[in-house]
Amino acid sequence: MLPPPRHQAQHLAARLPPLLVAARRIAATVAQGAHGRRRTGAGETFWQFRHSQPGDAASSIDWRQSARSDHLFLRESEWTAAQTVWLWRDGSASMRWRSGSELPVKRERAELLILAVAALLLRGGERVALLSGGLAPTTGVGALERLATALEREEDSPRRPGDGKIKFNSTLVLVGDFLSPLEEVAAWVGGLAATGVMGHLVQVLDPAEETLPYAGRVRFQGLEGEGELLARRAQDLRAPYRARLAAHRDGLAALARSLGWSFATHRTDQPPQHALLALYAQLALVRS
Amino acid sequence: MNFVFAAPWALGLLALLPLLWRLLRVTPPEPARVRFPAIRLLLGLPQGQDAADSTPPWLLALRLALAAALILAAARPLLDPAKPQARSDGTLMVVVDDGWAAARDWPARRAYLDTLLAGAERAARPVLLLGTAPPADGGPIASPRLMPAAEARAALAGMEPKPWPTDRRAALKALGTLEVGKVARTVWLTDGLNGEGSADLARTLQSAGGRLELVHGRTGRQLLPPAEDSPPDRLVVAIRRLPGDGPERVPERVVVRGLDAAGVVLARDEVVMEAASATVSIILPVELRNRLARLDIEGERGAGSVVLLDERWRRRSVGLVGDERASGAPLLDRLYYLERALTPHADVRRGGLAELIGENAPAVLILADTPLVPGALADRLAALVEQGRVVVRFGGPLLAQAASGATGDPLLPVRLRDGGRAMGGAMSWTTPMGLAPFGEGSPFRGLQIPAEVEVKAQVLAEPSLELASHTWASLTDGTPLVTARRQGKGWLVLIHTGANAEWSNLALSGLFVDMLRRVVALSQGGDAAVAGGALSPAELLDGFGRLAPPSGAAAAITEGVEATRPGPRHPPGLYGPADGRVAFNLGPRLPPPQALPLPSGALVAGLEGGRAEIDLGPALLVLALLLAMVDGVATLLLRGRLRRALPLAALLPVLAGAPAQAGDAIEAALATRLACVKTHDVAIDRDCLAGLKGLSAVIALRSTANLAEPMTVDPERDPVVFFPLLYWRIGPSQRPLSAAAMDRLNAYMARGGLIVFDTGDEGQPAAGPDTAELNRLRAVVQGLALPPLTPLAPDHVLNRAFYLLKEVPGRWDGTSLWVEQPGGSGANDGVSPVVLGGNDWVGAWAVDERGRPLHAVVPGGERQREMAYRFGVNLVMYALTGNYKADQVHLPAILERLGR
Repeated sequence: MLPPPRHQAQHLAARLPPLLVAARRIAATVAQGAHGRRRTGAGETFWQFRHSQPGDAASSIDWRQSARSDHLFLRESEWTAAQTVWLWRDGSASMRWRSGSELPVKRERAELLILAVAALLLRGGERVALLSGGLAPTTGVGALERLATALEREEDSPRRPGDGKIKFNSTLVLVGDFLSPLEEVAAWVGGLAATGVMGHLVQVLDPAEETLPYAGRVRFQGLEGEGELLARRAQDLRAPYRARLAAHRDGLAALARSLGWSFATHRTDQPPQHALLALYAQLALVRS
Repeated sequence: MNFVFAAPWALGLLALLPLLWRLLRVTPPEPARVRFPAIRLLLGLPQGQDAADSTPPWLLALRLALAAALILAAARPLLDPAKPQARSDGTLMVVVDDGWAAARDWPARRAYLDTLLAGAERAARPVLLLGTAPPADGGPIASPRLMPAAEARAALAGMEPKPWPTDRRAALKALGTLEVGKVARTVWLTDGLNGEGSADLARTLQSAGGRLELVHGRTGRQLLPPAEDSPPDRLVVAIRRLPGDGPERVPERVVVRGLDAAGVVLARDEVVMEAASATVSIILPVELRNRLARLDIEGERGAGSVVLLDERWRRRSVGLVGDERASGAPLLDRLYYLERALTPHADVRRGGLAELIGENAPAVLILADTPLVPGALADRLAALVEQGRVVVRFGGPLLAQAASGATGDPLLPVRLRDGGRAMGGAMSWTTPMGLAPFGEGSPFRGLQIPAEVEVKAQVLAEPSLELASHTWASLTDGTPLVTARRQGKGWLVLIHTGANAEWSNLALSGLFVDMLRRVVALSQGGDAAVAGGALSPAELLDGFGRLAPPSGAAAAITEGVEATRPGPRHPPGLYGPADGRVAFNLGPRLPPPQALPLPSGALVAGLEGGRAEIDLGPALLVLALLLAMVDGVATLLLRGRLRRALPLAALLPVLAGAPAQAGDAIEAALATRLACVKTHDVAIDRDCLAGLKGLSAVIALRSTANLAEPMTVDPERDPVVFFPLLYWRIGPSQRPLSAAAMDRLNAYMARGGLIVFDTGDEGQPAAGPDTAELNRLRAVVQGLALPPLTPLAPDHVLNRAFYLLKEVPGRWDGTSLWVEQPGGSGANDGVSPVVLGGNDWVGAWAVDERGRPLHAVVPGGERQREMAYRFGVNLVMYALTGNYKADQVHLPAILERLGR
């Protein structure tokens, strides 16, 4: 029996250094973060001295530094701010599936990834929020628990949340199987990206969805009412199916690239650390 | 090997197989169902070929094989290892010996014939069926007629062995009247005995066309009745069997049983037969022996192996009145000749009159020249006669004198005149006189009168009108020599001359012995011999040796059983009135068995040939079932559901395999139960178990102790600690114990167990301190730590544990019962670890499945059995509660002390 996803996630996150989310866009901050933004701003850490320019308030001049030379210097501190990371995992029925009892259900794996990322972010002092559901951006010690509880409470819904709550300087992490037609995904993701947020797509798939290991006469049934398909020789379908899946993935990757987002795939028979590392790398890359 | 189908029409269904093949080809197997999230990617993909969708060829072959197996099974294939018979539609002639000797293995014979006729039925051959024993309706053997095999099978079902021998001459006659057509095959199922006309019959059968097949079964054995004057302590029975070769020659174990009228086995003895004949001695106490009604060979059915016993084999107790013996001159003793004449046939007791007519009066009292005076003793004797005793009196000088006295003699059949008469003396003109032939109605009728018998002196009867009717024998001049009178149920008999050689040399002749036997025979109340004449059938044996009411053509026996031939008119059985049955046995009327000589050119076969026909149908059905299971698994496999069906597969071993046997020890420990020590003598072990079962039932009924089913334990192997009581019935062939078993039993006794040793030898005629069982017991207990023993005291706890007992009878009523000496070892609170006796208690307790007792108790009576059960209850209570009852004795004293 596996422990609940929250504990698994904490366990997983403990292995990684605190994840500092690079903030590319710092405009109007919403709240102070715990780490510097390598920019001048409101903060306590010293950032740089600069020459006084006309218009600077006389009170802002650092007289001690100015006394050492002929110029007037202003002391600037680094701007520290917390960033909000919006998390989403696909809650549709197609996620509640696995091809064998030794594999985890896709939705479990997606939740695990989300919670692990959330745990890392919370350790780094970031704020996390769920894209779907009513949880406001939260941080602090109990945030992970609140997040997990909200995930557990959330019912299956194929609905993709809109962008109403997202502020433009946030980061999105979207985990799902993204098996819907590309146009639907592109419309949704494009809508989200229009707010100017940074995003990461992680496609979680069962190995059977990649390899189509069936043979013989098989009647395939969809999980979301897509209908049935009677394959007379399932093994004959394998090659064209793979090609179509590869095309779909390429489409997703192209979509992500066009938005400046990242795209990663994850198979449920692989350890979740791989996906977490990839996600970490993406989040860290954005920071620099 | 001959391979036939009993229902060949079913093979026509094989024509449907191609249709099935087509059907299976065009019907694809049910697709596997898979839920698949990425179905959107699959939709619209180009589909491949449809050709491989149909049933895989191996599955197709499997299903066709399944259908073929079912059809073949419906056609009932038979594998007949008999040599293929000539394919002919000729008549099959079946000759069956259905005499007494065929009853031994009649079911096998019938099965053989049924197989034979079934074969003929399949081949649609007509059948001639001939039985060689005369039919029960007394008519001649019917000529066989041509009939269909099915009808012959029905006729065969009604055929039974007859309780008389075959008559092959008559069978030949019946056959001779038949217009024999083309007989293609002749089978003679013979009983293996030679007889008159056998050779002729064989010749005729051989000439009827076709080959003669001689089929042998097992021939019945003959049991001969014991000699009527067999030794006092045993019945010696002779068994005869066919001296021929084959299985009969092998030494075989023959068990002879003795049963009483109710069918209870009273005696059982066995002999290993090596020659053609053997004898078995059945040793029985007289009380049991007189209850024997039937002897038979165990495990064999048939009239020839049954001997019915009538009064001739009963031993009667005879009391000779007179305790004085003429010392030094035995030949002058009045009772000497009587004792010598009676001892071989009866139990003779000798003593004073008062002593003899006390508690257990003998059936016949003989008073030789002993006058009686009216008084209490004479009245008592008269009462005994009324009850059925026979009083035989002999004349003599004393009687002659007393009879003429004033008081007279109260117990004489006729009045006597004063004095007697003497013939041939010095002062007489007459000569000693011989005996006249015995008249009608005399019990002596049929006895040969030796010419040398002479009577020199006698007492004379007062002439009267009834004198002639009371006379059983008279002298040549018509003077009564033996007179008798019925009184109540008994008889008064007076022999008018002396019992020794003084007055007559009758006592020296063989006639004297025979006359005495006939008189003694009167005491059983039967006056059949007196009535003489025809004996009507009462109960008759059937062909299997069972007694049944008379039916058919059975008629009364008129010439005496010795001269009658058994047959439909006189089947063996019991004849005569209810109180004087005469047994008419088949065995002594049969010649010694002789093997049937083999006709030259005849095929000889055994019954096994017919039995070995193998029906392949069930095997095919099993095969079809297996194929169906394989098909089911394969279908699941194809549909990808095998994994889901695996839990069902786990059930298979449960269904197939028997549950593992729980250890005896576990079972023994789960409940309180009694146990028998295994003696490896099957009969004793069975008796012991049945006895403890009966006792457990009684204890459950009468007390709160609920004992489970008793068990048999082997101290060599099993732990014995679980049982409160071990019953060890020691037999004469008991094996000694190993050291390990000794240790086990010693430990058992030391920890409070109770072992009951029962030698069961009290009932033997020579019961005493030196029986085989006791000697065995001494050898067996060599290594056991037995405490010093003492006879059971009347106030022992064993006599008080549940019932208050004064006696401890079992199947026998012996006296010796030994327990530990009080204060002997002091271990176990003085509770004896052993009880040792020889009354065969389990024999008395033993009941069959229906709760009826298995053995008679001796001397008998329900009271004895009840007492045996009471002793059993006490024994178990003693084993369960120890000396609790002994402590109870002190309860009043304890209560009194508490009150104070």
